[in-house]
Amino acid sequence: MDNANIGRHISGQFNHDLENVINQAMHMGGLVEKQLSDALKSISQADRELAQQVLQNDYQINKLDVSIDDECTRIIAKRQPAAGDLRLIMAIVKTVADLERIGDEVERIAQVTLESLSGPQRDLLLSVDDLGHEVLALLQSTLNAFTRMDVKAALKAHKTDEKIDQSYEILMRQLMTHMTENPSSVPQLMTVIWAARALERIGDRCQNICEYIIYFVKGKVVRHTSAEDIKKLI
Amino acid sequence: MNSANSVSITAANSTTANATEQIALEIDKLNLFYGEKQVLRDISMSIPKGQVTAFIGPSGCGKSTLLRCINRMNDLVDDCRVEGKINLYGDNIYHRHVDVAALRRRVGMVFQTPNPFPKSIYENVIYGLRITGEKNRRVLDQVVEKSLRSAALWDEVKDRLHESALGLSGGQQQRLVIARAIAIEPEILLLDEPTSALDPISTLTIEELINDLKKQFTVVIVTHNMQQAARVSDQTAFMYMGDLIEYSDTNTLFTTPVKKQTEDYITGRYG
Amino acid sequence: MQSWYKSGSPWVWLSAAGVSFSLIAVLGLLWLIASRGLSYFWPAEVYQFDFTDEQGQTQSVIGEIYDREQVPYAQVAHLNLPFLSSESADSEQASGEHLTNEQQTLERILIKTGNRELTNLDFRWLFQGSIVKQSSPEHIAVIERRKNGDFYGFIDAIVSGGQVVELSQLPLLLARARNLQQQVKKLERGEIRSVNFELERLRLHERKLLMKNQLDQNTQQEINQQRAVLEQNYRAFEQSLNSVREQLMRDQIIVTAANGRQVSLDFADILQITYNNQLTTLDKVGLFLKQLAVFVSDEPREANTEGGVFPAIFGTVLMVLLMTIIVSPFGVVAAIYLHEYAGKNTFTRVIRIAVINLAGVPSIVYGVFGLGFFVYLVGGSIDNLFFGEALPAPTFGTPGVLWSAVTLAILTLPVVIVSTEEGLARIPSSLRHGSLALGATKAETLWRIILPIASPAIMTGIILAIARAAGEVAPLMLVGVVKIAPSLPLDGDFPFLHLERKFMHLGFHIYDVGFQSPNIEAARPLVYATALLLVSIIVALNVGAVAIRNRLREKYRALEQ
Repeated sequence: MDNANIGRHISGQFNHDLENVINQAMHMGGLVEKQLSDALKSISQADRELAQQVLQNDYQINKLDVSIDDECTRIIAKRQPAAGDLRLIMAIVKTVADLERIGDEVERIAQVTLESLSGPQRDLLLSVDDLGHEVLALLQSTLNAFTRMDVKAALKAHKTDEKIDQSYEILMRQLMTHMTENPSSVPQLMTVIWAARALERIGDRCQNICEYIIYFVKGKVVRHTSAEDIKKLI
Repeated sequence: MNSANSVSITAANSTTANATEQIALEIDKLNLFYGEKQVLRDISMSIPKGQVTAFIGPSGCGKSTLLRCINRMNDLVDDCRVEGKINLYGDNIYHRHVDVAALRRRVGMVFQTPNPFPKSIYENVIYGLRITGEKNRRVLDQVVEKSLRSAALWDEVKDRLHESALGLSGGQQQRLVIARAIAIEPEILLLDEPTSALDPISTLTIEELINDLKKQFTVVIVTHNMQQAARVSDQTAFMYMGDLIEYSDTNTLFTTPVKKQTEDYITGRYG
Repeated sequence: MQSWYKSGSPWVWLSAAGVSFSLIAVLGLLWLIASRGLSYFWPAEVYQFDFTDEQGQTQSVIGEIYDREQVPYAQVAHLNLPFLSSESADSEQASGEHLTNEQQTLERILIKTGNRELTNLDFRWLFQGSIVKQSSPEHIAVIERRKNGDFYGFIDAIVSGGQVVELSQLPLLLARARNLQQQVKKLERGEIRSVNFELERLRLHERKLLMKNQLDQNTQQEINQQRAVLEQNYRAFEQSLNSVREQLMRDQIIVTAANGRQVSLDFADILQITYNNQLTTLDKVGLFLKQLAVFVSDEPREANTEGGVFPAIFGTVLMVLLMTIIVSPFGVVAAIYLHEYAGKNTFTRVIRIAVINLAGVPSIVYGVFGLGFFVYLVGGSIDNLFFGEALPAPTFGTPGVLWSAVTLAILTLPVVIVSTEEGLARIPSSLRHGSLALGATKAETLWRIILPIASPAIMTGIILAIARAAGEVAPLMLVGVVKIAPSLPLDGDFPFLHLERKFMHLGFHIYDVGFQSPNIEAARPLVYATALLLVSIIVALNVGAVAIRNRLREKYRALEQ
C-alpha cells in the first residue's frame, strides 16, 4: 500500500473513504481466491457439497461488486479525484469488475464437480486441477501485487499468464484427443472444456488486473501491448 | 450565424494546430522582487496562441503576480522589481520604451471581483474606446453589441444598456467586465481568478464563455479552483513558492503529473 | 446586575442619553433664538400706563411691554418709591408688594416708549406697584419712522401743504410719500451713483494717461467734454432729486404723545402707521410677515438697529460662494496630489499632518495672515501694477470681499483636503486597476473614474467648509467686513461683480448690533433675529450641498456597501 500514498490527504474523510474502498476490494479479492480454491478442491475431492457451496457463495461477490462500484461513484462525485487518486479509483473499479467476472468463471468450474465423471475422465480432471492450481497461484500473486500496489510483482504475474496459456493449450489438445477417441463422452467433456476455458479466462483477467496496477502506479496504459513493449514503457 | 462562426473557427483552430503552436507569449527567465523578497524565481515558459493557459498553485505561489507581469500591472506596486523578459509576439514588453497603456490595450485583464465602473452598461463597455477617443456613435453601438454578444450577455441586457452596471448580478457583472476588456480587441486576455466571487452556475457560464473566447483571443487564466483549470484550459502551469514546478498540457497534468509536488497539490495532499 | 452590565445595555443607555442631551441642546438653542428673534416682528399690544413718579405725581406713558423681571427689594430700597410708602392708602394696586421686608422682590416691567426726540430714553422701567392704571386705547398709533425709532401717540391732524385735511386721507398721503421716497432712492442709488461712478472712472482714466505721459491736447479735450456732459447730467439729476425732496416735505402729521405734547412729523420720515390695538389676529399675521419680509429684503437704518439686513445676507452668501469656488479646486487638487501622486514617504506624511493641523489654527490668525499677505502684499502689488492711477487710494490693497473669500478659503482648505483624501482612499483599488488595465493612463483614470466616484466625499468636504466659513467672523473683521457698506459687491455697473469692495456679514452684524450699537435694548431682538437668519442661511447652504451630495451618492450607491 506504500505506493498508493492514500494516507496523506488533507481531508481525513477522503483518506478514510479511499482506504475503505481499497479494503473492500481486497476483501473481495480474498473471497474470489477462496471461491477458486474451494472450487478446485471440490473437483479434486469430488465434493459435491463444497461445489454447491461455491455456487451459493457467488452472491457475496456480486454484492461486493455493487457496493464497491457505488462507493467509487460516490468518491468521484464528491471528491473529483485527480492524478493518482483518479487512477486508483479507475483501477479499483476495473479490478472489481474483473474480480466479479472471475467469480462467475469460478461458478463454471464448480459446475464440473456436479457433473458425475467417471474413470478416464477423472484423469482429465487431474490435468484441469493442475491448470487450476497454476491459475490460483497467479490470482494469489496478482492479488498480492494489488495489495501492495507492487509494479514488479504485477509485471511478473503479468508474464505468468503466458505459461497458463501454454498449459491451457496442452490441456485442450488432450481433451481433443480424448473426444475423438470417445465421441460418446463429448457432452460430459464439454463441461471440462468449459472449466478449462474458465481457468484460462481467469488468467487473462489476472493479467488485466496487473495492467491496472501498472496504470495506477506508473500512469501508463499497458493494455494491448506486448510484454517487451511494457518493459520498455516502464 | 452561430454555426457559420463555429465552422470558420474550427478551421482556424486546425490551422494553428498544424502550424505547431504559434507562440503568443514567451516568458524568459523572469525574476520578480517585492523589495528584498523574491516572489518569482526564474520562470520560463511559452504560452501558445489561441489556447487557454491556466496557472494553478496554492495562495501566495506567485501565479497572480506572474499574470500581472504580462500586462505590467505590477508597475503599480511600489518597490516591485522585474528581471528577465516577456516577449509578446517577439517584442519584449519590459523594454524601456514600451508604452504601458498601449501594452495594456493589447493585453486585457479581468480581475477577481467584478469591478464594473459606476456608469451605465453601455459606458462600461466603451470605456476603452472612449480612452482612445472613438466618438462615432455607430462604431460604438456596434462594438457594444459585438462585445456583449461575445461575452454572452447581450440577450440579458440589450433592453437596459443605459442603466447602471451596478444593478447587474455578480455573474453578469463579471461578464460585463469581460465584454469591456474584449471591446478593445486585445490579443491576449488575462483572467485573474475570474470566478472566485461567483456562484457555481455563474462560474459555469464564465467557463463556457472562456471556451468561446479562445477562438478569438489567447487566454491566460489564474485560478485556485483546480477543477476549473482542468475544465477550461488547454495548458496548465503549476506554480509553488515562486517556482514554476510543472507546465504541460492539461490532460497530462491532471491525470499523470510528473512532479510529486504537482501530484500532491492536485490530489489535495500535504505538500 | 452583573449580567445587565455585561449585556451592554448601560452603554446603549449612555449613548442614548448623550444623543438626547445633544438634541435637546440644539433644539433648545434654536427655540430660544427663534422665539426671541421672531417675536420682534409680531405687532405687540400698545398700552397706556398711568403711574406715580418719584415726586408722587401721576404721569402717563405709552409703549409696548418689552420685558418683566423681579428685583430684590434691597436693591431698590435706596430709591424713593412713593407707591411703597402709600401702600396702605393704595392697597388695591400695591397689594402684591405690600410687604417690605428684606426678602421681598418687586416686579418691574420694561416698556418701549419710543418717541426718542421727546425723551432721551426710549425704554424705561416701571415698577408694577407704581402703575395706577393700565389701558390699551384703540387709537394709539404706532408710527414707524426712518429716523429716531418708533413714535407712539394719538394722531390729531394731518397737514397737507399748510392745510389741515381729513384723517381719512392718511393712506393716500402715505402712499404718495412712499412713492416719492422710492423716486429719491432710485435717483440716489441709480442715476446719480452711476454718474458718479462714470466720473470717477473718467478721472482715473485721465490720471492713467497723465502718468504714462500720453495725455495730449485732443484726449484732454475729449475727456473734458465727456466730463462736462456727465456733470451736466449730474446737475440735472440733482435738480430733480431736490424737487422730489421738496415735494416730500409738503405733508406733516400732528401727533400727541403720552405726556400731552404735540409733535409734527414729516411724512417723508414715516414708513408706516399701524393701530396695533385695533388689529385682528389675521392682520397681525399679515403685518408679521410683512415685517419679516422687510427685515430680509431691506437695508439697515439707524446704525443697524432698525430696518433690514439684506446687504449682510447678500454679503454672507456671496462671500461663502466665492470661498467655495476658490477652495474646491485647490482642496481637491491638493488632495489628489497627496493621495495619488506624492510618494508614500515621511515627507508626504509630514505634509499631511501639517494640513490636518492647519484646521486647528485659531481663525483670527488666518485673519492676520490674510491682512498681511493678501491685503497688503498681494493687494498692494495688484494696485501698483494695475490700478496705479487710483493711488494713493487703494483698490485691491484694502480689505474686501475677495480677500475675505480667499482668507476663508485658506482657513477651510484642510477640511476639503482631508475629506477628499478620505473619499479617494475609500475607492476600491479594483476600479483603478480596471481602468488602467483597459489602457487608460493614470490621469484618464482619475478624471473618468476616480473623481466622479469621489465626488460625494468632495461635496462633504465642501459642506463642512461652507458650514465653517459661514459662521466665521473673527478673521473677516480684518480682511473685509464693515459695519455699513455703501454699496453691494454686485450691481449694474461694469464689471458688475466688484470683488474689491467691502461687504456686510451677518455674523459681524450680530456682533455689531449686539455690542456696538448705541441702543442695546432696542437692538436685542434684532440680534436674535439676525442670529436666526444666519443659522437659517447656513442650514440652507448646507441642505443644498447635502442634497447634491446625496444625489451623487445615490448614483454611486453600490460602491459604498
